Amino acid sequence: MLKKITTTAAILVVGSTAALAHVTLEGKEAPVGSTYKAVLRVPHGCEGKPTNTVRVQIPEGFYGVKPQPKAGWTLDKVKGAYAKAYDNHGSPVTEGVKEVVWSGGSLGDDEYDEFVLRGTIAADLKAGDMLYFPVIQECSEGLKERWIEVPAAGQKASDLELPAPGVKLLQKTGN
Amino acid sequence: MTPLCYKALSQTGTLQRFVSAILLWLAMAAAASAHASLNTTEPSDGSVVSTAPRVITLTFSEPVSPTSLKLTRPDRRTVTLGSFVLKDRTVEITPPGDLSDGSYLLSWRVVSEDGHPIGGSVVFSIGQPNANPRGAAADIDWPVCAGLWIGKVALYVGLFLGVGGAFAINWFADGSGKALRQIVVTLGAGFAGALLSAGFQGLDTVGEPVSRLFTPTVWKAGMATSFGPTVIFAAAALALAGLALASGRGRDARWISISALMTAAFALCLSGHASAADPQWLMRPAVFLHVAAIAIWAGALLPLLAEFRRGGEAAGAALHRFSVFIPWAVLVLSLAGGVLAVVQVRTPAGLVTTAYGIVFLIKLGLLVLLFALAAVNRWKLTAGSKKGEPTAIRLLVRSIAAETAVLLLIFAVAATWRFTPPPRTLIAEVQRTVVAKLQTGKAVADVRITPDRVGAIAISAAIVKSDLSPLDPQEVTVVLSNPGAEIEPIRRRAQQGKDGWTVPDIALPVPGRWRLRLDVIISDFEMTRMEGEVEIAP
Repeated sequence: MLKKITTTAAILVVGSTAALAHVTLEGKEAPVGSTYKAVLRVPHGCEGKPTNTVRVQIPEGFYGVKPQPKAGWTLDKVKGAYAKAYDNHGSPVTEGVKEVVWSGGSLGDDEYDEFVLRGTIAADLKAGDMLYFPVIQECSEGLKERWIEVPAAGQKASDLELPAPGVKLLQKTGN
Repeated sequence: MTPLCYKALSQTGTLQRFVSAILLWLAMAAAASAHASLNTTEPSDGSVVSTAPRVITLTFSEPVSPTSLKLTRPDRRTVTLGSFVLKDRTVEITPPGDLSDGSYLLSWRVVSEDGHPIGGSVVFSIGQPNANPRGAAADIDWPVCAGLWIGKVALYVGLFLGVGGAFAINWFADGSGKALRQIVVTLGAGFAGALLSAGFQGLDTVGEPVSRLFTPTVWKAGMATSFGPTVIFAAAALALAGLALASGRGRDARWISISALMTAAFALCLSGHASAADPQWLMRPAVFLHVAAIAIWAGALLPLLAEFRRGGEAAGAALHRFSVFIPWAVLVLSLAGGVLAVVQVRTPAGLVTTAYGIVFLIKLGLLVLLFALAAVNRWKLTAGSKKGEPTAIRLLVRSIAAETAVLLLIFAVAATWRFTPPPRTLIAEVQRTVVAKLQTGKAVADVRITPDRVGAIAISAAIVKSDLSPLDPQEVTVVLSNPGAEIEPIRRRAQQGKDGWTVPDIALPVPGRWRLRLDVIISDFEMTRMEGEVEIAP
């Protein structure tokens, strides 16, 4: 039993080590109308320099956002109005976190870390679409890496030099 | 893990789990598509180093393996760099040991661990950057110039004396075979000249020494220039002239010889300074007529000479036909030549202040001599020769021989025009700018590249929103690549100044069509990539 789990895990690990050069999301798929834990994986700095700040833009339709604090990093939540009201257990919410900023840290180019936030994917988003979380890495010496490109019609994410991390939306689950 | 999970897991087959794991892995790999990125290089991009680097290093964000490393040297030659070692995330390349001063471009292409290729270019200079080559006094490769000149003179001999000779034999000398051997020899010289010219043109284009004459790439480069079609049509004209001679006398031979003449004139109006000048509708026909008229005149000399040397009735008849027709040829020749000279030299001062003008004056002097000889022939000797007076014939033979010699001198002088830019182009030599307009759904950019030719260039871009309202981008990066020359993207961050966003100096190593891209960061999370193409002159 344990061996089977290890096999599966090993295959996954081998697969994912290759996929480390961009900032990416750990969970690749999530149903609409559900809570989603976005784990942003930061694989390297900017041109070899350490990362000091990680900024995430919250996409419209992802609401009730709560970022996870990190030791050694200052956490800021930039709030603003949503484009429309979203349902929070029966009561409408019209504003909330639009951008999350972890700053004041130092993540070496040869180190790896994850930045986590949690929120709800609006039930009226379309299954099959991608929901993108554009990320900016700010490093020492004023260098920046921007993972902010969203594929245009007919483009694939792999065509982009600086693809924004995204999650594929699935059909709403039964419960 | 709860007992329920245990149960669920044990019910699932290993194979099924294996498959689902692979699918998940594929999904992850596809979505994440890992690329390595370049961290640093030594020498760094855009730097000027005092001595030639013994090793060039590229350091990436993760281990990579190179698939293509090419170094373009200041003389535009490109060499493949095969000597490198991989040290963790660093590629250490050993460049050739003979790097001279000037600008170099290293175009690299690597694959990262996931097999995704990425590429870029590093430009660095040793000593000082390349000047724009037309502005600087380039090293003259004398053997190559000599080869070009000899090839050109031989081509002229073949086209004017050979093709023109075949025409004269058929139209003036009634298909007589007396000058056959001489004409065949000149046609042969023309073939050799055409062939030689193609090779040396290639050497001149790629900047190679004579020792590299027999490499295919050199010939390909030569034939790719505007001179390539000239070589092909010249060879066709020479072959047609040969065919006309082989067809004996008669209507067929006459028409083949006239089409050979037309083809020869067409060949020369396909390339060269005069054909390249504006207005094209005037210049190309002028070159065509000029060449055709010269061929008719010059071509008649060898057959006439042969006729009179051998003597006989036919010589007088040939001379008669020639002298009836030739004033018209001379008229066309002079008019067309006059047009060409006026357009090329522009101002009278250009005649004495430029090499092109001086060559023109020498040619004009020789032409006056040629006209003088022709006039003596026509008004003093023709009448007597036709009647068969021996003294007149002897003098006429000498005079025609002298005419031929002067003509050869004129060819020799005219062939040096290959090396002198006409005053017209020198006037236009002031710094020119190429302008590109780039547009996306988000922004519009006017990009100016000065000068518009290889070497150090400056780029400036005025960027506004697509509704033409002001745009204040956070960052602008200029990306230049040349897929045709296999040059991977050169990336430079632009600086904001009063003239918009500028990159003061990028050394472009080769001319041709370059792909231009501006990566414009409009706001923190918004960017647009604006793409277009620019033509960089040699």
